[in-house]
Amino acid sequence: MSKEQVVEKDFMVYRCKSCGRKFYPKHDRCPYCKATEFEEVKAGDTCTLITYTKLYVLPEGIEMPPLTLGIVDFGEGIRALGQIMTDDPKIGMKLKPVWGFLRKIGGEDYYGFKFKPIEE
Amino acid sequence: MRDVAIIGVGMTKFGRLEGKDLMDLLAEASLNAMKDANVENKEIDAVYVGNMLSAAINHQTAIASSLVDRISIFPAAADKVENGPASGGSAVKNGFLAVASGVYDLVLVVGGEKMTSADTDVLTDYIATMTHPTAEYVHGITLPALAAMLMRIYMQRYGVTERHIAMVAVKNHKNGMKNPYAHIHREITIEGAMQSVMISDPLRLYYTCPISDGAAAVILCPADKAEEYRDKPVKIIGVGQATDVQCVHEREDPAVLKSCRIAAEKAYKMAGITPKDIDVAEVHDAFEILELVESEDVGLFEKGKAHLAVEKGVTEIDGEMPINPSGGLKARGHPVGATGVAQIVELVWQLRGEAGERQIKKDAKRALACNFGGFGNNTVIHILEAMWK
Ligand SMILES: [Zn+2]
Repeated sequence: MSKEQVVEKDFMVYRCKSCGRKFYPKHDRCPYCKATEFEEVKAGDTCTLITYTKLYVLPEGIEMPPLTLGIVDFGEGIRALGQIMTDDPKIGMKLKPVWGFLRKIGGEDYYGFKFKPIEE
Repeated sequence: MRDVAIIGVGMTKFGRLEGKDLMDLLAEASLNAMKDANVENKEIDAVYVGNMLSAAINHQTAIASSLVDRISIFPAAADKVENGPASGGSAVKNGFLAVASGVYDLVLVVGGEKMTSADTDVLTDYIATMTHPTAEYVHGITLPALAAMLMRIYMQRYGVTERHIAMVAVKNHKNGMKNPYAHIHREITIEGAMQSVMISDPLRLYYTCPISDGAAAVILCPADKAEEYRDKPVKIIGVGQATDVQCVHEREDPAVLKSCRIAAEKAYKMAGITPKDIDVAEVHDAFEILELVESEDVGLFEKGKAHLAVEKGVTEIDGEMPINPSGGLKARGHPVGATGVAQIVELVWQLRGEAGERQIKKDAKRALACNFGGFGNNTVIHILEAMWK
């Protein structure tokens, strides 16, 4: 997979088998009811941008500023942080999770979820 | 539990301190505090050293034992305390608990950091490793980026403008001008701040603290013995620490610092007072937005209203609720492990009336220090009271 390419992929979160609430990232004990059994379930197909920044002073392993980062909301109390694939982010815009290249850490390539605007 | 008093304080100048290494700084601040407490010839039972990055950037570990060796306080018990940017506050808390428990009678707490010898991008990356490894760090997040996202969501919700953020920076630079220990001695203007370089939109260079070297120290003893050492002892009447989920996105409300709220509630409860009883505060303005958010979340202002207090000059040195008379992290500087201790050093000087040109106008009896770790997921609050007032 090239560094520019992204593929569609389900964004998985954790659902507590005891209280039913969902969360991301993983906790080994439910933050709400303290139970310890979970199942992985798919978050929604789309999410909404609730805040963002364009980062000009980049950490080592990321090139080409600015890097747009944001927090998205999938509903049901599930939010996530990640790279936003646009130079023109707007609060409230709809995005979808995709999988692709994130950065290098210690010279090694890291891939993961990022968020791509949905064309209206 | 015994009451605990601060009988001595001391610090080094903060800044880019060429020719001084981490141990030089820790030793200098420690000896200054011991002198201030008149305990130079007394036996120190224990030392707690607040520091975050010695292993990462100074190639030195087990620094508490090294400090004992430098200042010859053998056989004092010695521990390093690491809690990110709240390492200093956590070290003071450990010292407080040790004296309160009755185990130790004379305790040295010192926080320090030597940062300016490291490359900025390496340093920024080490500091970013405080964030969640798989849900934050891997995406390229930095602390300024988290502060910028908080700034955007907070400003939008409460009608706060960039101008307000700049006003906080201007106030802190003005205070720093009067503080001989401050890293930055430069007056700035609102317009100058609003035109400074963009770090992480909407966060500009002048809305962030500098990278500094420095150390600060306090000496603690049981309150009923304090006057045997010196006059004007300051009692630690409240200590509160609280944690929150690590990821900013998982917080109940990303515009609220819940750990700050809970830590403050615990500290007020222990002290048996309310926010109205606080006369002056030092808060952790690693980014100027944090001065607004923290001063609200510790209860000094209603949520969403701190910027109005800034507009009216309430938080100035001569205002009704002076905040960061030292210049804060913005102007005094932010040697990470030193900060939480330096806040307490400043407040002791303010309570004693020894803050020189930056002495607050009101006669203060109680003071609050808010030291913030991670990006707000681990906050330590101390409340101090002048024992002679
Ligand atoms: Zn649960």
